[in-house]
Amino acid sequence: MPAERMAATTPAPPPENGAPRPYFGFVIDNRRCIGCHACTVACKAEHSDPIGVNKTWVQYIEKGIFPHTTRAFHVLRCNHCADAPCVEICPTASLATRRDGIVDFDPGRCIGCKACMQACPYDAIALLPEEKTATKCNYCAHRVDAGREPACVVVCPVEAIVAGDLNDPASRIARLVATQPAIVRKPEKGTRPKLYYIDGDADALDPSKSARSTMTMWGSRPRDAVDDAPATGRKERARGAPRRTYDIPQRHAASWGWKVSAYLFTKSIAAGAFLAAFSASLSLGSAGAARLVEMAAWIALVALGATGILLVADLGRPERFHWVLLRPQWRSWLVRGAYVISVYGALLAAILLWPAGASAAGGTLVALAALFAALTAAYSGWLFAQAKGRDLWQSPLSPLHLLVQAFAAGSAALLPFATTGTRSLLEQILFWSLAANVALVFLEIFGRHSTSDARRAARIARSGATSAVFWLGVVAIGHLLPALFLLADAPELAGLVAIWALVGLYSYEYLWVDAPQRIALA
Amino acid sequence: MTDRSEDEAGRRISLIERFAAAIGIVPPAGAVTPPVRRADGTLSAYPPFERWDDWEELDAERKPRHYSLVPTTCFNCEAGCGLLAFVDRETGAIAKIEGNPLHPGSRGRNCAKGPATLNQVNDPERILYPMRQRGERGSGDWVRVSWEEALDDIGGRIRDALRSGRGNEVMYHVGRPGHEGIMERLLAAWGIDGYNSHTNICSASARLGYLLTNGSDRPSPDYENARLILLFSSHLESGHYFNPHAQRIIDARNRGARLVVVDPRLSNSAASADLWLAPKPGTESALLLAVVLLLIKGDHVNHAFVRDWVDWRGFLRHRHPRDPLEYPRFLARLAECYARFTPEYAAAETGLEAADIRRLAADVAHAGTRIAAHIWRGTASGNKWGWQVARALALITALTGATGARGGTSPHGWHKYKPHYWLTPPPGRSWNELQWPREYPLSTYEMCFLLPHFLLDDRARLAVYFTRVYNPVWTHPDGFHWIQALADRERVGLHVALTPTWNETAYFADYVLPMGHSTERHDLQSQETHAGVWVSFRQPVRRVLAERRGEAPRSTLGTNPGEVWEEDEFWIDLTWRIDPEGALGIRKYYESPYRAGEKLTVDEYYRWIFENAVPGLPEAARDEGLTPLEYMRRIGSFEIRRDVYELHRQVVEAKGAEPPRTDPATGIVSEGERVLGIEVDGKIRQGFATPSRRLEIHSETLAEWGFAEHAIPTYAPSHVDPATLDPARGEYLLIATYRLPTMIHTRSGNAKWLNEISHANPVLIHPDDAARHGLESGALVRVTTPIGWFVNRALVTDGIRPGVLACSHHMGRWRLENGPGSRWHSATVRFENLDRDTRRLRIVQGNESFSSPDPDSGRIWWKESGVNQNLAFPVQPDPASGMHCWHQRVRLGPACDGDRYGDVVVNLKQAREHYRAWLAESRAARGPLRRPLWFPRPLKPAESAYHIG
Repeated sequence: MPAERMAATTPAPPPENGAPRPYFGFVIDNRRCIGCHACTVACKAEHSDPIGVNKTWVQYIEKGIFPHTTRAFHVLRCNHCADAPCVEICPTASLATRRDGIVDFDPGRCIGCKACMQACPYDAIALLPEEKTATKCNYCAHRVDAGREPACVVVCPVEAIVAGDLNDPASRIARLVATQPAIVRKPEKGTRPKLYYIDGDADALDPSKSARSTMTMWGSRPRDAVDDAPATGRKERARGAPRRTYDIPQRHAASWGWKVSAYLFTKSIAAGAFLAAFSASLSLGSAGAARLVEMAAWIALVALGATGILLVADLGRPERFHWVLLRPQWRSWLVRGAYVISVYGALLAAILLWPAGASAAGGTLVALAALFAALTAAYSGWLFAQAKGRDLWQSPLSPLHLLVQAFAAGSAALLPFATTGTRSLLEQILFWSLAANVALVFLEIFGRHSTSDARRAARIARSGATSAVFWLGVVAIGHLLPALFLLADAPELAGLVAIWALVGLYSYEYLWVDAPQRIALA
Repeated sequence: MTDRSEDEAGRRISLIERFAAAIGIVPPAGAVTPPVRRADGTLSAYPPFERWDDWEELDAERKPRHYSLVPTTCFNCEAGCGLLAFVDRETGAIAKIEGNPLHPGSRGRNCAKGPATLNQVNDPERILYPMRQRGERGSGDWVRVSWEEALDDIGGRIRDALRSGRGNEVMYHVGRPGHEGIMERLLAAWGIDGYNSHTNICSASARLGYLLTNGSDRPSPDYENARLILLFSSHLESGHYFNPHAQRIIDARNRGARLVVVDPRLSNSAASADLWLAPKPGTESALLLAVVLLLIKGDHVNHAFVRDWVDWRGFLRHRHPRDPLEYPRFLARLAECYARFTPEYAAAETGLEAADIRRLAADVAHAGTRIAAHIWRGTASGNKWGWQVARALALITALTGATGARGGTSPHGWHKYKPHYWLTPPPGRSWNELQWPREYPLSTYEMCFLLPHFLLDDRARLAVYFTRVYNPVWTHPDGFHWIQALADRERVGLHVALTPTWNETAYFADYVLPMGHSTERHDLQSQETHAGVWVSFRQPVRRVLAERRGEAPRSTLGTNPGEVWEEDEFWIDLTWRIDPEGALGIRKYYESPYRAGEKLTVDEYYRWIFENAVPGLPEAARDEGLTPLEYMRRIGSFEIRRDVYELHRQVVEAKGAEPPRTDPATGIVSEGERVLGIEVDGKIRQGFATPSRRLEIHSETLAEWGFAEHAIPTYAPSHVDPATLDPARGEYLLIATYRLPTMIHTRSGNAKWLNEISHANPVLIHPDDAARHGLESGALVRVTTPIGWFVNRALVTDGIRPGVLACSHHMGRWRLENGPGSRWHSATVRFENLDRDTRRLRIVQGNESFSSPDPDSGRIWWKESGVNQNLAFPVQPDPASGMHCWHQRVRLGPACDGDRYGDVVVNLKQAREHYRAWLAESRAARGPLRRPLWFPRPLKPAESAYHIG
């Protein structure tokens, strides 16, 4: 085989000593697929999936100008990644990689946090409308366990979907992967998909390459949040450029809404109030410090309570919220974060319930609380980075940025309650954290991004319908105004300054959460 | 992955969880079901046959379920694919429907419509009880009635008609037959010429072309072994036998066969082709005749085959009587006939590149005898004289020797099974001119779509009119006239709709009688899906489950949901009511062949056929230790023959005492009056089913019956000749029929999973044409036909030829206000009179979600469910085949003020005028016969009936 054709091949994990057997994957052979949708329907029948939920679907992409028009069919679904980001982020091990390579799903453990929908770079996960638990292709694990092929494989009239043991050199799938050039979706995500496309069209497998329309050849698809995003460029709409003529909605889009940005915001206040007070207290007398810390602890606890309420309210299954702590999957930053928040809350409570003890401990308790406040602020950076589907969230600066935001939010929240002794300190913290924040914001939104999806997300955040939120909310109200008034030193306006800063901070959380979700993943 | 602390399911249950579960604050982690795997870890498509009776499998929620696997046959399209119903042994419910791996045609695989059968079975909108409409037809005032009441009423009326010599006032009109010969036997037993079908709005045109060439009205291409697959229809997504054909086309293509698809629209088949040719519609014959000319000129003719099996002698004798009867002369004359069809000429006509035409000819020459070619509907059904395209295509397979060859294209009859019965009624003596009017002596099938016009012309009336899985109001052109005729009690005494689901025609019935889906009825079906012969059994799966449990259900009624019945038992019962004492001589055909004088049971019906009429089945059953009926109940299908080729060469033995006579001029061998075969290579061979027993390039039948100028395959301008259409003036050709892979006419609309994928039929418009009218995708357009217009949305696409519009005939279903109907796929409409002659169908409420026991009905998100464009089309019968010519001359423009999505406006007077104008172009029989005797016909009557007067 010519070297350049080999280069396009992503080999299956080689069978080595101790390699799992069987080790399942899929091949979609586009030399055979005729776009008939039988797989879609057989899948629905097998899983009794409701209207609006597709575990597998056939995307149609057309290119070219008559009479040189082509149409390509691509069966899209879960890739059963060897390094599945959905499994890593799932807080309750609802998603799990079986020993045989199947990325399986147990709805009985799902709390409906939708983190997996953010983590999957392929939009392969949907939320069930009534159960509010996630769902996706599980390789028909229940059939496989009875020795049968998945429903889509059996129905396919042209045997275009091949299932089998990648580690069995005699299997049809292993032979195909070994002998045919095949591509996978978004190999750059490092997820190591185990679904290979023979004769796959790179333009079809890269969702940014084709224009989307809600009108299909035979009807329509429901609008989704990606449709509302600013247009992604003229080039794609040029005649002959790739366009989708059958598609389903982007299920992941905006699956995290205002409750998630509000959670970041309240958490920022909860963490930052204590951090700001702790920092200020270092240059205050012990009595003043204790008062400030106590007030900060109260504010933090209230904000932390709000954070918890928002987190639980955002779950599809809020009654299962405690499973995050009690059925933990430790690799998930949702779990780690939940423990961080819990410990932080406990420390705050201890400080408030036992002020004498807090002092008696020589400030250890307060310092420990400050440490957990910092972790509370920052952990979301690592959590969002686990959402592999969102390039903008992959920034290594995120934890630091969240920490800076916390200082700003916390000091702003404390400002209205400041005394003459603490105001100037808090104002200084607010001023400098806002200054640092605006620098980081500009770095995130205007800086160089290594992937086009991150660039596009940044562009979405600063342009289109949300440009007002960015320029007016984040930049003008959130940073310029407070900075000007802080420089002008107008203590009677402290409350207003605080509100402006908080409006700006919330606006940014909103954009940061929202914009990356407006990019098509499939 | 190999972390030993994880369980098989890959989960590591933490200590915290174990503790929390132990004290009961979280649910215990479920036990992991160990997989049951084969030792080598491989997976199989289907459970092993010996465990079909009781197969244990986890369901998607990982609950163990015990299924009884019952084979049946799909009843959606005409392919007759095998299905396997997974019937829950506990509840008796059908859990899912997969394919039957033992079915020789479909081989365990299916299209989307197979598994979607489950939607049709569980549809909360389906008809569960016999219903009678009170008041006017179309009033929507339906009441439930008993089967007894319906049967007595209908049976009484038929009995009256038969006894008073008005037998031909009883008509059975079928959409999807799904069975072999059972209805013909029934109607012959009743002694009436009452069979009507849908074929002349479907595939009759191409059928005529094939029939004239090789005596068999459809092709059976051996795709599997072909070197060139040449499709004029979209067989990778529809066509006759979509799934079985797609399997074999793709297999061949992946083994190196070349796939050429000719279609003005980028179908999914065209998208999969090595070469997609998009000629101007109606010019396809020019393309093919250019290929013919290149074959002759390049000497790529298979002389050995043509000498023996093409009727070149007839060609010379009739066309050039003074020429010597020599084969080279024939070739020269043939080249002369097509001399003008140079690649350049054809390129100018078709709008294709001359190089592509040469390329196709080279492909044909290279493939030789291995050309699997198919035209089914497409251009043949679109154009006046469209059957000439089929003849031109058949000419190519004749000249290359591909007809009948391995990898070639055989007459379908070689690959299709027809049963016979213990007692066969004699052929009828009457002729019903409603189906077979003398204006259309060569009509391939019945003139079904002219029925309302004939009724309105007072040619005849109907006492009892059955529509069976048939929806002419919607699927036929000029539906407003169907409504008018059906609503008229003077013209149609009683209209009985036999259907599993509501349809637009059933709204205008007196009785709606629910008949089962593919898992709820008995039928026998055989189709020519490949170069073999098979028969497949459709059966009510819950009845079979009951039998497996040792119960003895006496009727399918009772094992089906509600009071859904099946036709076999219905017709037996009805026949006994028509002739309760046997006095009319009808009852005897529906008496048991095993119990003299007793009423036939459905078990006996099929038992007799399987024991006596399926070659090889009794032996195969014996090998399995089963009776033939048990064999079919368990396995569902039987392969009678495989690798069936070159049957024309089959040697025929003379049976008579006298030696057979050979006509020295033609080679035809007769024994008395009966033609035995044809002498080739010194032996009497079966030949083809044409009058000459060879492939006919010149059809003397056409010449004799008034079509002399069409006697050889020609390129004749169609009614939508592109040369007469000027897009600059808004004139276009509309391709008004094409199938989607997910739908089957109006039969699959209640399958929610199919609807979710496909629910509208926008008008495909080329970007240049769209720009001319300032249209973008999604814009409302008005498409004006000769009798009215419809309003639909534009879909601007490079997947269609400029100057051509296309709109699928799927979708656009409707129901009346206050009337019944399936809400999965229909808009609520109102009929309005705009003036004395002008009617409008207007949507008053688009498709919407609704509440039902199926929560999915509340999740319907599609509001626009298509436009019933057929209503706006006039009838356009081809003068020869009688096929409705579907392509339309239309004007395109943006929608006008007041136009709404889904509007269909028709001027009835213009529709009648259009009908009369086309009727005037017919060429009535001039001789003593109504129809050539050698032409096939369903329910073929006795020869005496062919004589006029």
